[in-house]
Amino acid sequence: MQLNALETRCGLLDWEKSTIVRHSGPDALDLLDRLTTKSLDSLGLYNAQRTVLTTAAGRVIDTFLVARVADIDLLLISDSRVPDKIISAINYYTIVEDAAMTDHSMSLTRLSLIGPKSRQVLQKIWDLDLEKGLLATVKYGENEVTIISDDSRKVDWVDLIVDPLSSKKLRSELLKKGAVAISADHFEHFRINFSIPGADAEYGEHSNPIEAGLLSLIDFDKGCYVGQEVIARLDTYNKVQRDLRVLTSAEPLNERSKLISGSSTAGIVTSVSHLETPEGNFVSLALVRKAYLASGTELNADGIAVAVK
Amino acid sequence: MTMAPERSVPINTIEITEKAADKVKQFAVEKSMEIYGLKVAVKGGGCSGLTYVLDIVEGPEPDDKVILNHGVEVYVPKKAFVFLAGTVLDFSDGLNGKGFEFSNPNAARTCGCGTSFSV
Repeated sequence: MQLNALETRCGLLDWEKSTIVRHSGPDALDLLDRLTTKSLDSLGLYNAQRTVLTTAAGRVIDTFLVARVADIDLLLISDSRVPDKIISAINYYTIVEDAAMTDHSMSLTRLSLIGPKSRQVLQKIWDLDLEKGLLATVKYGENEVTIISDDSRKVDWVDLIVDPLSSKKLRSELLKKGAVAISADHFEHFRINFSIPGADAEYGEHSNPIEAGLLSLIDFDKGCYVGQEVIARLDTYNKVQRDLRVLTSAEPLNERSKLISGSSTAGIVTSVSHLETPEGNFVSLALVRKAYLASGTELNADGIAVAVK
Repeated sequence: MTMAPERSVPINTIEITEKAADKVKQFAVEKSMEIYGLKVAVKGGGCSGLTYVLDIVEGPEPDDKVILNHGVEVYVPKKAFVFLAGTVLDFSDGLNGKGFEFSNPNAARTCGCGTSFSV
């Protein structure tokens, strides 16, 4: 039922912990434009854009949604459970810029509506036709809710940022209007099946954004940002050695297991689902080396036979 | 091939060469500025993470460190100075010239075009 809701209707994910940071100041947007992979200099008011922050060596620090909630006020929202990742990295690069960050990860709650009917569920509460990539701040009782339509995922996705007291009431109302509560396990299964990269799993300082499934979040014509030289070289000279693939197996795999083909390492398992598919299989995500990417390729992980989907 | 000897600059200052100072003076004349100085700073961004900033300005900001070199006042924001201490700013022109060039002892790595660095 939960997986069906995510794929055909509207699932509601209540994030136990994620990153919500306010980045304010006249130089905040320009700074993020200079630091990250997406062109943000023309991001309009009430628009949102996901981007990637990498190290100078082109490794992923984090990917986050930049939501321009006011002229010089941005909300940065990431799936990472560790807000300090983006806070410390951006602070390091804030030298002469007039910009400051405050962490709201504990003082605000994030709910996500996922699935093709997400907007219809929202419209049952607010008279709101939110296009993809836009955001709105609306009244909910005495408080405000910031609603952001994230167009960077492979599925329809709307984030709601709300104070913790209102979130309980809002969550209950969203469920009454047709959303289906999604457990962390079911979300993980869905994420793996749809090859949606996850924080500290597919992307992190162990991977570059191209192999980690974040290619669509890179603007190759935007000019310099941190890590740009390395990332451009990886792309231009076709130097990316791995790509993200869904694996199927008869038993659940272990995260961080090596994928083996004969005596060669073929990749690494990055996320696993312990829920059985209707076909009686288990799915995992892995960073797979180039030679083994073809669908149907048979590999081995800790003695368990796996197939590249 | 011969290499120019490394310039040694005290770590509590930055230096601009006579050639760089002359170029700054030339730019100031072109901009009809009688009172001016060279702002040298660092901002986040660029391939390697930190980008040099150069600008001819009318005067220092309250928190700028002011250094006089070859008749040109150099203004360095105190927050940026930690990344620039000991730097020599030179200017090279001609067909193979690169314009203003930073020789920064704090830079552990620089990008291909030389406009950004990491420490």
